[in-house]
Amino acid sequence: MAADKLELLILKTLALLPLHGYGVAKRIEQMSDGVFRVTLGSLYPALQRLERDGLVLAEWKASDNGRRARYYRLTPAGRRRLSVEQKDWERVSAAIARVLKAT
Amino acid sequence: MLRKLLARGRDLAWSESRDRETQDELARHLELVVAEKQRCGLDAAEARRQARLELGNPEVAREVLREGRTGSWLDLLMKDMGYALRLLRKRPAWSAACLLTVALGVGASTALFAVVDVVVLEPLPLPDPASLVRIYDSNLAKGVERTNVTSGNLQDWRRRTRSFRGLAGHYTMGRTLTLDGESEVVLSAQVTEDFFSVLGVRAALGRTPTPDETRIARFNSAAAPVSPDPVVALGHGLWTRRFGADPAVVGRTILVERRPMRVVGVMPEGFAMPAPDVQLFLPWGLPETPPRDQHYVSGLARLGPGATLAQAEAELVGVAGALAAEFPRTNAGWSVRLVPLQEDIVGAARPTLLVLLLSVALVLVVACANVALLSLARSLERLPEASLRQALGASRERLLRQFLMEPLLVSLVGGALGVLLAVLGLTLLKQTGAAVPRLHEVGLGPLALGFASVATLLAALLSGLPVALRLARAEPFCGLAAAPSRLAGGRRHALRDGLVVAEVAMAVVLLAGASLLVRSYQRLQAVDPGFDPRGVLVAPVFLDMEQYGGDGAKSRHYYATLVERLRGLPGVIATGAATALPASPLGPDFERPVWPEGAADDERPLRSAWVRMVTTDYFRTLGMRIVSGRAFDDRDSLKAPRSVMLSEGLARRLYPGSAAVGRRLVLDYSTAGTYPYDVIGVVGDVRFSGPRAAARHEIYLPHAQRPYLVMNVAVRSSGDPRLIAPAVRQVLHELDPAKPAHGLYDLSDLVGATYARDRYLTLVLSAFAAVAVVLALVGVHGVLSHRVRERTREIGIRIAVGASETHLLRWITGQGLRLVLLGLGLGAAIAAALARVVAGLLFGTSPLDPAALLAVAALPLVALLVSLHPAWRAARTSAAEVLRAG
Repeated sequence: MAADKLELLILKTLALLPLHGYGVAKRIEQMSDGVFRVTLGSLYPALQRLERDGLVLAEWKASDNGRRARYYRLTPAGRRRLSVEQKDWERVSAAIARVLKAT
Repeated sequence: MLRKLLARGRDLAWSESRDRETQDELARHLELVVAEKQRCGLDAAEARRQARLELGNPEVAREVLREGRTGSWLDLLMKDMGYALRLLRKRPAWSAACLLTVALGVGASTALFAVVDVVVLEPLPLPDPASLVRIYDSNLAKGVERTNVTSGNLQDWRRRTRSFRGLAGHYTMGRTLTLDGESEVVLSAQVTEDFFSVLGVRAALGRTPTPDETRIARFNSAAAPVSPDPVVALGHGLWTRRFGADPAVVGRTILVERRPMRVVGVMPEGFAMPAPDVQLFLPWGLPETPPRDQHYVSGLARLGPGATLAQAEAELVGVAGALAAEFPRTNAGWSVRLVPLQEDIVGAARPTLLVLLLSVALVLVVACANVALLSLARSLERLPEASLRQALGASRERLLRQFLMEPLLVSLVGGALGVLLAVLGLTLLKQTGAAVPRLHEVGLGPLALGFASVATLLAALLSGLPVALRLARAEPFCGLAAAPSRLAGGRRHALRDGLVVAEVAMAVVLLAGASLLVRSYQRLQAVDPGFDPRGVLVAPVFLDMEQYGGDGAKSRHYYATLVERLRGLPGVIATGAATALPASPLGPDFERPVWPEGAADDERPLRSAWVRMVTTDYFRTLGMRIVSGRAFDDRDSLKAPRSVMLSEGLARRLYPGSAAVGRRLVLDYSTAGTYPYDVIGVVGDVRFSGPRAAARHEIYLPHAQRPYLVMNVAVRSSGDPRLIAPAVRQVLHELDPAKPAHGLYDLSDLVGATYARDRYLTLVLSAFAAVAVVLALVGVHGVLSHRVRERTREIGIRIAVGASETHLLRWITGQGLRLVLLGLGLGAAIAAALARVVAGLLFGTSPLDPAALLAVAALPLVALLVSLHPAWRAARTSAAEVLRAG
């Protein structure tokens, strides 16, 4: 999966509620019905890039079972980026679908 | 943008704590996955195994994370550097060779640049140096292009010109300084009133002599100070050496030429006018009517505000013309020339230094080309490795960095070593006292260090660039598939071939320059100096007016006794003395008008001769040839008729086509009047100022009849002249402890010094050329060997289909020869274009001298021999073996 698409998916999963890395991976897997399996080697670099660009914020928090985990949540900039990218993606994918159907 | 920068900074600063955090985070992730698997019923171990399988190695993830951060380039750099260092260590000989090549190149060019910087680029360390000029007299009708001025004319120039802020004169000679009973000869300058103000220099301590002190300061005809209350300023070097830098020296009285002189000041450190080793400054008040025909004063002036050199010269030429009309007897034909002071001091050294700098730059280029060739060969060897790693996901950027790190490291370390070498070289240069003007100012300043950095970077770039270019074209898989035995040739070799051709071309340029200089040097040495300097010791002796003045009887007696005693020393063959000795820089050397007795008035000023007073055995001591008549002997005593001897050239000039011996001539020797002399003999011409200068017209007077205070004493012995030096010193001390010799010199050394520049330049350039040729040959050999290795398969096939050994030999050597001939052609073209640069340094040798250039043509022959080795190896290839291996 291309890195920018992974980032879009991460932003989407975080739009609902803050999650830790494992949660993000799990949710992407669930939402895509197991089509996307995210590896450590791609997930964390993506998270770090998003953090660096100020689209997500990370902080250590206690998780449900009392263990500490690093939670990521969307910043306002992240939210704006998500809506832009999402519209973009919808436009492009719809266009691609049309082209593919046209044959 | 700003945020990104901040993030980068944070990345760098936090990279370590961040690393730990990431580790925790990844560990937590793994834990969560394992926990879920366990919830699904797996046991702990199996859950962990599956989680690992699913997620991949957390180490890899961490590595990727670290690489993704911008701050980690430092980590990467260190890693690449470590990799390069390991590779360098694996081949110590190769690494050392590259390192040394770059170090020598950078070191030599930096040291030379430091010299060139001071000598050619830096203005003189004086206020507004651009407006300082030297004044020379010239008399083109007499063939005198530039000579010293006269004090008489200087007076008038000061009064009659407006373009100058000041005009000064000075005269330099050695004088005996006696301090606490110990005498030594110190170089001194007698300077006219405006000297210090023209230069714009004040004393560092005390003051310089005042105009009043200067006006009354007179010198007699033997340049001995005769003023009633003489004062002196000291040079900084003498002040620290002999007075322990004691400020109380001002007001103290010292003995100069046995005369008490009051010290009024000390000049600042680094003040190097008129020469760095002048350490006594005596004020010089010109008399009412100073002579207009004694050209021994060095003229110095500062242009007035707004005046240009051309304007000032035009004005002064006008004044000189007017003076020539007013005083035709002394001034007819004399005019003036102005030369900027900077040009005057360093002008002569400039072409030499530029040639040296140019050649060192060529050596540096050849060195870099060689490092590049070697790195290139290595990178090609490692091409399969590179391709493999690229296929496995290493970025091209990363690979490039790794391959470039090697030449870069070599260049940087080599550059640092080079700076050390430069420091060492400059120290050595200063110690040998090579005749470079302003050498005392030379040091590794910021500009020279900047040059070293640029040279190092250039070396890195030159040696690394070809590798980069080559790798940038590499495809991830072709390197794997094509292995080194591919049949293709052509473009792949263009880069390496180009480098070798360039190397050979540079070597050819250097070789051409060096062989021209060697040829020119041989011709210089072949010049017959007219005397035999081997085995002669020279001791300049400066007697003073106080003790030896008067009618000359004391001086005559002193030198007669000295010569007699020296002759009695064991091993001494002959002893003589002359006021001015060939190749000796010390002693009075002046030119006077001379004419045959009875010549018409208007013919008189046409001829002149350099006057030397000599003792009887002088000609035999120096090994000069008596052409006709006889040499001076005891018959030429004070009571006998005045006699002279002429140099061969002067005899021809005065009496063309007829014998000179037995004729009478008139020598205008103004301080003693105009007398007729009998010509008793003619002696062979000598090259007074070295082989480059034409022989002078010289006239010799017997010391017995014309005693003189300052003489150069020559002692010829059967062995090494330095061996008798202590005995000579002892004899001088016994005669007068206050009159030590102004140094003791081996005449061969003095003569050698007159073409020292040629010798150094020839030596250095030959060394450079040798290095360049060796490097170029190594390059040719390396490239051919590599090509043979690359084409083992093709060679195997050729042998299999019937190529003979000779055929293969011819094929490979032919390839080498083609490169060398291309380089030769290119180099010859460059050398021809540069001929002008070197032409001015050559003696009796055309820059296109065929014999010298023939040496260059020997290069292809040597290259042929060098290329035989890889060719022979190719020819010995066993076809079956190669094909099986392929």
